[in-house]
Amino acid sequence: MRAILGRLAICAAAAVVLALLPFTLSGLNQVLAARVALYFIAILGLNIVTGYTGQISIGHGAFMAIGGYTTAIMSADHHTNLIATLPLSFAIAFGCGVVVGLPASRLSGVYLALATLALAVSIPQLTLKFSHFTGARNGISVDGTVGYLWLYGVSWACAAILFVVAWLVLRGRTGRAFRAVRDSEVAAASSGVSLVLYKTLAFGISAAFAGVAGSLFVLATNGYAQPDEFSIFLSLYILIGAAVAGLGSLWGVMGGAAFVALLPNISQSAPLIRSIPVGGQDIAAGLVVVLVMLLLPTGLAGLLQRMALAASALRRRSGIPTAERG
Amino acid sequence: MRWKFGFLAFAAGVALIATVTSATGAQKLDPGVTAKTIHIGGTFPFSGPAALYSAIPLAERAYFLYVNAHGGVNGRKIQFTYYDDGYDPSKTVPLTQKLVEQDKVFADYGSLGTAPVLATRAYLNAKKVPQVLVATGDSYWGTDYKKYPWTIGWQPDYPGEAKIYAQFINSKIPQAKIGILYQNDAYGQNYLNAFKSGLGASGQSKIVSAQSYDVTAPSVQQQVVALKVAGANTFVLFSTPAATIQALVIATKIGWHPTEFVNNVSATETFMALATKAGGNVEGAITAGYVLDPNSAAETSKPGAVLGKHILDLYDGGKSIFDTNDMYGLASAWTMVQALKNAGNPPTRAGLMQALLSLNLKGNPWLYPGFTEKTSATDHFPVEQLVLARYHSGGPAGIGSFDPFGRVFNNTH
Repeated sequence: MRAILGRLAICAAAAVVLALLPFTLSGLNQVLAARVALYFIAILGLNIVTGYTGQISIGHGAFMAIGGYTTAIMSADHHTNLIATLPLSFAIAFGCGVVVGLPASRLSGVYLALATLALAVSIPQLTLKFSHFTGARNGISVDGTVGYLWLYGVSWACAAILFVVAWLVLRGRTGRAFRAVRDSEVAAASSGVSLVLYKTLAFGISAAFAGVAGSLFVLATNGYAQPDEFSIFLSLYILIGAAVAGLGSLWGVMGGAAFVALLPNISQSAPLIRSIPVGGQDIAAGLVVVLVMLLLPTGLAGLLQRMALAASALRRRSGIPTAERG
Repeated sequence: MRWKFGFLAFAAGVALIATVTSATGAQKLDPGVTAKTIHIGGTFPFSGPAALYSAIPLAERAYFLYVNAHGGVNGRKIQFTYYDDGYDPSKTVPLTQKLVEQDKVFADYGSLGTAPVLATRAYLNAKKVPQVLVATGDSYWGTDYKKYPWTIGWQPDYPGEAKIYAQFINSKIPQAKIGILYQNDAYGQNYLNAFKSGLGASGQSKIVSAQSYDVTAPSVQQQVVALKVAGANTFVLFSTPAATIQALVIATKIGWHPTEFVNNVSATETFMALATKAGGNVEGAITAGYVLDPNSAAETSKPGAVLGKHILDLYDGGKSIFDTNDMYGLASAWTMVQALKNAGNPPTRAGLMQALLSLNLKGNPWLYPGFTEKTSATDHFPVEQLVLARYHSGGPAGIGSFDPFGRVFNNTH
């Protein structure tokens, strides 16, 4: 109980900081902070399917594309309120996730990774096929413009809501089933956990998160959706973010999101990375992933956990009663 | 006493006038302008699928450094900041916001690619930041000026180019049986429609087949074979580099030797050399160009080519081969410097747009000799002339060249 209260306190403190933060940021940094929020949502979603259910997906950029185009098309062609397009993106991406998740539940490991890779490559190309609908290479723009503070507020509000949703899903019976599937499919099935149901559900929820992230991604790109934005690299960066964050825990996600969102801007200013003539950003990302995998195989979340363990060990040794004993 | 009061009143009046004039004299400088510098910036692909175009911003930077070494623009040095957006609009947007809000550039200059420019156009216009001489050949930059007055392009637009091929075929190849390969999107269709309208009603009957391909298609073999089977003797390509190279190679391999027309963006020496290497016979392929070809025997000793190589040697170190992308960068940067010189002293953003809309420039050393850059309040297309050029493989430095021939075409809007 104490542990839950502690976590709630951390969440409340984070909420206060996030609510006050925009007033100290310039417009430009408000947009950057909004990008952190949207990657936070995407990585959170990927974590549900990959970290908690053990199904590797390299295709989450495709679900972001579905969400992003939902927002752009609804706003451009039907003048739907931008906020109203967000739940729609959630629903449509959920549907697509379930459709993909059903056959994917028969695949596992590297085969599933390849199937989702195919998804990431093919979905953005589909937009070229239906040019009257999506604007093909010329893209499609939402109706109206998006303010920086609005973008920040909406992005972090979505992030907060979806964080609570993820927490509620993962803490109870469903989360236990997800983890059982991850740890041993045979054991899970023999304990009465339906593999097809839970794998598909995990895919659906995860895709829905990515869909909302995709909508916010388009809004943060001046409301402009275009196939090149949703390249395979977007999927890879989300996976990188999840690896940096640490799979199977919700607490490192913020670090992974900040890494992915801020890297393009940092790499264009940092003197060392900038001096690399071509692809400095990708090289930096690759190096960080290698270092994280070597030094922190469980990501930032693992680091936090280890620090908490070390702190309690220290307290025990110095004779201060720990929370559990006191 | 009385005259003393009068004197005081007079003095006060003079002082007042002096303050007012000095207040107007010390006017506020536009962002990015100081007494010594003008800061401009742009986004370009240094990585990703279009990274080959990174030669363009490097040549532009070389020219600005050269101008700075020779006194700058009205005594101000040009500072040019460029960022790598990898041709991805979702990266272009935050980098452009960074240029405007953090680096506080005076203008967004030369940014490359249709989608990246479309993604940032509304933002820059809302902020009233000039988005000038963008490096893309779509027509929007010249036609949408009422809605986006702060945006202007530079190079000839794609439809204008297509019409020139049509005019040439109508007048010089009367017995043409035309086969067209075009990319199935707005880019290819813009070309195709302008080409058809350029041919006119009678000319259109010469088209024996028009085949489209999807940009994702792994091969265009089927389409090329269909064009040969239809009996075409004139092959017109409105495609992007990868498909162009493939189509030219396939044509040779199936024993089809038509007269080939290759659109400008796919017709650089580099792409033609790749096609030759893969077994394609591209000798004599025709394109329409507007910048000097430094590898063409007729142009390699032109003052522009010589000066260009000198500047690139000094400030874009160590390149052994120059191609039309280098010349493109120099020519565009030259135009920018001319516009900055006429943008007022100190230059203002409004002044820059005014200067770009009243261009009447002759003698850009890196455009085809004799080409002019002209704009007006209603004509927002700076370069509107093109000349046809024929490909000859194996010029100096082992690289082929596009050698211009025939008259200059005016593509006025």
